[in-house]
Amino acid sequence: MKKSTLSVALATAFGAMPAFGQTVDQKLQILQQEIDELKAQTRKPPAPAQPSSPYSLDYSSMLDRSSGLANGGTNIIGYGEVGYSKFRESGNATADLQRFVFGFNHRFDERLTLHSEVEIEHAVVSADDHGEAEIEQAWVNYKMSDAVNFKGGLFLIPIGILNETHEPPTYYGVQRNQVETRIIPTTWRELGFGVHGIVGEGFRYDVGVTTSFDSGKLDDPLTGIRSAHQEGQEANARNLAVYGALNYRRPGLLVGGGVFSGDTGQNGASNPALQGVAARFSLWDVHAQYRVAGLDLQALYTAGTLGDADKVTAALFAADPTTAFAAPKSMKGGYVQAAYHVYKEGNFDVAPFIRYERIDIRQAEDPANDLFQNPNNNERIKTLGVNFWVHPQVVLKADIQRYTTDKTQDAFRLGAGFMF
Amino acid sequence: MTRAARRLLAPLALAVAASGVAQGQVYQEPDAFIAEVFGSKPAPKVLWLTKDIQEQVVAILGHPPTQLRQRYWSEGAKSVWILEETGKEELITAGFVVVGGRIDHVRVLVYRESRGQEVRQSSFVKQFKDAKLAQGNRLDRDIDGIVGATLSVGAMERMARLALLFDRLSHDKVHG
Repeated sequence: MKKSTLSVALATAFGAMPAFGQTVDQKLQILQQEIDELKAQTRKPPAPAQPSSPYSLDYSSMLDRSSGLANGGTNIIGYGEVGYSKFRESGNATADLQRFVFGFNHRFDERLTLHSEVEIEHAVVSADDHGEAEIEQAWVNYKMSDAVNFKGGLFLIPIGILNETHEPPTYYGVQRNQVETRIIPTTWRELGFGVHGIVGEGFRYDVGVTTSFDSGKLDDPLTGIRSAHQEGQEANARNLAVYGALNYRRPGLLVGGGVFSGDTGQNGASNPALQGVAARFSLWDVHAQYRVAGLDLQALYTAGTLGDADKVTAALFAADPTTAFAAPKSMKGGYVQAAYHVYKEGNFDVAPFIRYERIDIRQAEDPANDLFQNPNNNERIKTLGVNFWVHPQVVLKADIQRYTTDKTQDAFRLGAGFMF
Repeated sequence: MTRAARRLLAPLALAVAASGVAQGQVYQEPDAFIAEVFGSKPAPKVLWLTKDIQEQVVAILGHPPTQLRQRYWSEGAKSVWILEETGKEELITAGFVVVGGRIDHVRVLVYRESRGQEVRQSSFVKQFKDAKLAQGNRLDRDIDGIVGATLSVGAMERMARLALLFDRLSHDKVHG
């Protein structure tokens, strides 16, 4: 068919459609785009189904997709952050690619999905470097309904605010807050299974059974139970733990809490002196976030205990007297934070913030072996800074931190983060 | 398994068994939504996404539209737009009813992600009621976010802006 004949035919056809005043040339231009795209597609080998490719070229196919909830698609997600710290007391400065995380999420069918994240910390991973490569999440979710989902694998424990929502553009400050680092050991994940869902108008519950800590693996006196985490790495699982969380969300408001409890002795698997020692660890938190008229308020309180802490201290000393320290027996802490969005135009959003944190970790001292409370476990931290979002998913940050006890941590920091 | 774990899981198992297999992620078929809005489903109309329109869509979505024609349904000053946008990792399908250049109501029709379903709650979608386009094709109001559903909230806001833009353009074309 000659081009002129085609044009006449198309013009006639378009004339029968609802009139929107769009010219035939414009429509021909669009059709040419469609033809070019179809040509390009026929040249390529067939691609696997992508559930996230929009498909509203033809509404009838959209209906099919919406009903069928296309299967077999894999999405890539990720986030990362870089930071610069200039320490006040020593004058030293460091710059670090703190973390780069990528993940693959796969939909097997309309109910069954896989969620995964792989994290690389500090840019380089080798025997001589500080970097770590780790699986942060790898779990399968089976959705029966919004109210009932089953999950199994390595997943995040729903305690606190930061542990489950820790992408850099979602929190204030170059570094994550210390309460949800040293007391709630973010990013805290365990192997296990759970049930979660939304009930009523905005109540999200999450309960389950997981691996627990192994107190025989404690190797850091300043981070409570954190260094006893197992992170799904050949975890000793003689003792399991249970967790539960309930959060209420509505626009601008989050109120919730969670609890985790499990023995950590692991029958002495990593430290024979803990054989028969329960060393039960329990931790709970309550938190709230409220956003109104540019004001962003957030508060969290958390407390926990480690049973048989004196026996854990003795076990650490028995394993290696040169590195032993007094095990944590109780820990509590909290923070309050306020931010105000002073400028918002397009994607740009600027919010100065202030945060006050309190950390109090008590250790089971053993004076006979010179194992005492570390003074840096009684800390107050003030942070003053600003977040500048250049895009909802990309943020620049700056802050100043002042520690009451450990002055070596006083610092000026710059950072940037992203998520996709 | 510890005794505490057994105590925790026993009532859960009962609750799950009682709930049965529920409706899944499709809350309402788009056809049913359109029919509900108009009483019966009118014939669809088409907005051709010409180059200048595509540029405006890019400014709102941050990416080009993958379709070159957008179907919609309208009667008088009321129009319905079924739109889709990715939240964190999967598409959200939502229906937008626009009356006289303002959003009348919004409904999430299909939600595919495992978290963030809070965007379908009435407390969230009612924030769009009476919203209209302001300068720069932005909404004339702030939409309060939901902690843990940041990207889904962003997707809903972008779709609302798109529905209002398309509504305006469809009228411009008719009356232009």
